[in-house]
Amino acid sequence: MKIVTFACNWCSYAGADLAGVSRLKYPEDVRIVRVMCSGMVNPAWILRAFRQGADGVVITGCHPGDCHYMVGNYYAKKRYLLLKELMKFVGFEDERLKLLWASASEGKKFAEEMDSFKKLIEQLGEQKQLRWTP
Amino acid sequence: MNEIEKIKDALKSSNAEKIVAFVRKESEPREVLKVLSPNEVDKISFSPLSLNNPAKLLMQINGKVAVVAKGCDSMAIRQLIKEGKLKRENLFIVGISCKGVVDYRKLAKFVNLSEVNDVELNGNDLVLKLKNGEKRIPFLEVVDENCLYCGHPTPVIYDVLIGEPREGKRDFSDIEQFERLSREERWNYWISQFERCIRCHACRSVCPLCYCEECMVDPSNLAVSPMSTPEEKASYPRILGKTVNARDNTIYHLLRVLHHAGRCVGCGECERACPMELPLRMLERKLEKVVVEIFGYDLNEDIPFFSKLDIVGD
Repeated sequence: MKIVTFACNWCSYAGADLAGVSRLKYPEDVRIVRVMCSGMVNPAWILRAFRQGADGVVITGCHPGDCHYMVGNYYAKKRYLLLKELMKFVGFEDERLKLLWASASEGKKFAEEMDSFKKLIEQLGEQKQLRWTP
Repeated sequence: MNEIEKIKDALKSSNAEKIVAFVRKESEPREVLKVLSPNEVDKISFSPLSLNNPAKLLMQINGKVAVVAKGCDSMAIRQLIKEGKLKRENLFIVGISCKGVVDYRKLAKFVNLSEVNDVELNGNDLVLKLKNGEKRIPFLEVVDENCLYCGHPTPVIYDVLIGEPREGKRDFSDIEQFERLSREERWNYWISQFERCIRCHACRSVCPLCYCEECMVDPSNLAVSPMSTPEEKASYPRILGKTVNARDNTIYHLLRVLHHAGRCVGCGECERACPMELPLRMLERKLEKVVVEIFGYDLNEDIPFFSKLDIVGD
């Protein structure tokens, strides 16, 4: 299983770091890409991740109102909802895309959510719909 | 005084430097868009076969322009004004209350187009004046499918309005019906559609809102030479391959549509331009449904959709 996580520099990346520092275990399938803000996560990256064989994609950012850049996560939420609805419409398994608010102090929440997301992806199995197959 | 005379009069009163209007194509019954100077105003024509959207053309013309716009065209013009691409004071808009346009492909199945001299709408019938005699076709059988769901038949922005204002409607019944299918059915349907896409990018070229100078799929994004430094290469992110297969096409179309969220004016140019006749408007209409129902945004608002900072859901 491959789970690509876009984590914002200010909250979620620090949250994931805290999970590591506190020696909480979360699935090793999670691969974190640090971005400066969840608002800069282009829907194209998410689709490209699925194309390259990711089984799940998580966007994580600061809680609404806590964004380092004031409104970045509002944009993230908009893009996420639009992409999710569109994926559902074309029949893609939209459960594979998840949005998670995690602040720098929520290492435990980050680890738990990643655990439950991994379980969900395991139930769904490998992502075959967009994966590159020769 | 008929419609065309009224349009000509309105255009004459505009004192614009250029006129963007429909001109009858030679040896074919339809109209194409042309940029005319004010003394050529007698060339113009208008009929249910005046299909195209002039908004994209307006962005390339400097100075004061008079333009003939149907309901959806005026939506596009207003959207471009909202986004700072056009200036209202440079435009003189002759709005036409639109009864719907004819789908050229549907019409071609009914009649040999080279024999048609003139097309006009009479009540519920489309009257074709042929070389020998006349033919009547029920308008509903040849109307562009997009026009059946039209929300703005009357121009939303105009200087002169021609024709009686007409009520629009908001109808997502076809989308709701499609959503009731199972996930596999939906996926198989879209894959079978996108399989046919040849990635000619005509839908992008013709869309009045796709005005980016460099598109995400343009090869200039990938201008990498042996001399390029890693930093330069990193600044040319490769979002989407140029390969033509069903899955890359799916990604292309999803991204294309996502860029139109809360902006699409519903002129249907993408579908009209598509050589493979893909149902592209369905994706756009689905997003419109999301924007209206989940975000509660109305296209008539002055503030662009993405600038509205409200958070929805949990």
